[in-house]
Amino acid sequence: MTTVPPPAPPRRRPRVPLAPYLFILPYLLIFATFWAWPIVSSFLMSFKDSRLGAAAGYGLSNWQRLLTDEFFRTALKNTVIILVIQVPLMLSLATTLAVALNSRLLRARGLFRFAFFAPLVVGTVAYSAVFRLLFNGEFGIVNRALTGVGLPEVDWLNQPVPAMAVIILAMTWRWTGYNAIILLAGLQGIPEDVYEAAAIDGATPWQQFWKMTLPLLRPTLLFCLVLSVIGTLQLFTEPALITNSGPGNATMTLGTYLYQQGFRSFNFGYASAIAYAVAALAAIFSFAQLRLFGRDS
Amino acid sequence: MKKLALLTTLSLASAASAQSLSGTVTVWSWDAAAKALESTIPSFNKKYPNVKVNVVDLGNQNVYDRGLAGCAAGGADMPDVYSIENNEAEVFWARFPDCFTDLNTLGAAKYAKSFPAFKWTELTVGNKRYAMPWDSGPVVIFYRRDLYQQAGVNPTAIKTWDDFIAAGKKVNAKFGGKVKMGAIGNGQDDEWFRMLANQNGCFYFDNTATQITIAKSGCVQALDTVKKLFANDVVMTSDWGGQITAFKANRLASAMFGAWYEGTIRTNAADQSGKWGVYPMPASKAGGVRASNLGGSALALPSSSKNKAAAYAFMENALATTNGQVTMLKSQGLVPSLLTASKDAYVNQKQPYWGNQTVWKTILDTLGDVPAARGTQYFQDARQVMIVVQADYIKGKYKTAQDALNDAAKKISAATGLPVAK
Repeated sequence: MTTVPPPAPPRRRPRVPLAPYLFILPYLLIFATFWAWPIVSSFLMSFKDSRLGAAAGYGLSNWQRLLTDEFFRTALKNTVIILVIQVPLMLSLATTLAVALNSRLLRARGLFRFAFFAPLVVGTVAYSAVFRLLFNGEFGIVNRALTGVGLPEVDWLNQPVPAMAVIILAMTWRWTGYNAIILLAGLQGIPEDVYEAAAIDGATPWQQFWKMTLPLLRPTLLFCLVLSVIGTLQLFTEPALITNSGPGNATMTLGTYLYQQGFRSFNFGYASAIAYAVAALAAIFSFAQLRLFGRDS
Repeated sequence: MKKLALLTTLSLASAASAQSLSGTVTVWSWDAAAKALESTIPSFNKKYPNVKVNVVDLGNQNVYDRGLAGCAAGGADMPDVYSIENNEAEVFWARFPDCFTDLNTLGAAKYAKSFPAFKWTELTVGNKRYAMPWDSGPVVIFYRRDLYQQAGVNPTAIKTWDDFIAAGKKVNAKFGGKVKMGAIGNGQDDEWFRMLANQNGCFYFDNTATQITIAKSGCVQALDTVKKLFANDVVMTSDWGGQITAFKANRLASAMFGAWYEGTIRTNAADQSGKWGVYPMPASKAGGVRASNLGGSALALPSSSKNKAAAYAFMENALATTNGQVTMLKSQGLVPSLLTASKDAYVNQKQPYWGNQTVWKTILDTLGDVPAARGTQYFQDARQVMIVVQADYIKGKYKTAQDALNDAAKKISAATGLPVAK
């Protein structure tokens, strides 16, 4: 018996259209070079001990250090403190502002909306410098005002708790308006008839706010919350420029610690490990928020 | 006769090579340092007329950051001459050993004895010389003659830190606590600790950069003194800017820093001309060392330079000649680290701003006594720990300075992986 090979099936390759891939190829190349590769590369780097120079092999030393590093814990603690105090404070203010800006009773609404958004237009370096001046212990206007109304002076930038307060105040000043504008857009997406119906049912404005506005605003609030949390986890500008992470490490955040390790101590391996830890935290926080507050949206 | 002929041939040869050097030398530097380097260009061009020198003032932080980026990119976009602070230098040699030229290959070994040993410590690795010493920061006390006199304090009688504190009490009594003997950037920096530790021959690390020595007795004594200064209320807490504001407002009777602070006082308080003077820092105990160093820089030559011979010639003229170093002292107050420069006539001139004192002589005379100390590649890590530990100790978190520094040593060890010295 001889086996006869079955006739080769006719070559009918499914036609893959090539043109679309060619069109996006330039972008893919740029993405691979400047985004994908650095992400992979920094992950690999997090397993190299840069302190040993180029000859270092792969190992877990950076990750072990991360687990026991007191400074990393301080940075994490500071970041979480800012997160827990500043984000709710800012979002409540922003919601209040958004409702006020949405009110029909308000005149010159465009002007107010711009005014509250304006802090975002100011350069970060300039605004940080101004905050340093405002809160200068000896010559700043804030202490001038405090003594003016009979309160004691505060050494804002040289004491841990006041320095943290300055960071929180500065961030709130800068970002409240931005969130208020996003929330305002959310408010304008709530149809009028809902309120009309509520009014007919005899709901007071207060009840309307709690029972109608807030629940309907939830998707927008959640969006603001996720953005703010990620922003705070990466917080760098304010503590770097206003307090220089000080006094001591009192306002050191994950962002400034990463910078310090990467670009002052040239410890790229450890800095990469910190970066991945921050990214993981951001993912966990975002996921938790979506599960907690985003159930049926 | 033979000798003379040889010398003539040699000098002819060097003249010929001087003529043959050409092209452009780009120098990266910052602020006053950049201006000082610029002031040496005329004398350089007299020797090497065909080389064009281009000094770029990038600002201190930018030089560091762009040097880091350039070295990480394998030497791309680096200048021909690179300015680097001594303390921060070693991290470059450690992370990027091929980024800079070994100056011994260009003949720098002959300058080994021309600079004090402590300046070379951070610039050499094994038998490689990665940079040439530039200026240094011998520590002195700058004081207000008028305020000391009003309080009945005699600066020449201040020989130890205890004398200094006693003087501070007199100043407090006279001015009701409004005027202080010094400003310490507690919580912002640990400079006072470093100046005092260096004086006692102690530092974060040993001079082979293999052990953490911050818990040794010299450092303990230094931290103790810092605490005593606060406990006796003779110093104020103030950052860089606050200190300037304070001395302008007559709130400081003295200040301690590297001698490069001379220019800062002179330019910021021009109206206090004649009222200031200088004396050596007090010793830890009678007869002890009254010298220390804070800061100072060096020049390095990136391996990627296309014009190494000319770049090296520029460095030689600016740093390794008395004329070059004194030119920079005159123009910007940079303290020469070249030993022969301390014998120049200018150094012995009376300075009118400083009450006609020969301040440069007072300052430079301490250079030979400065104990060696190494920033090592871990300088920034250790400094960050020490800033916090010092602030905590002043606040009362630790019982003794020894406890505080044991904790600091443990933390620095965790950050660097180096063992703590027994």
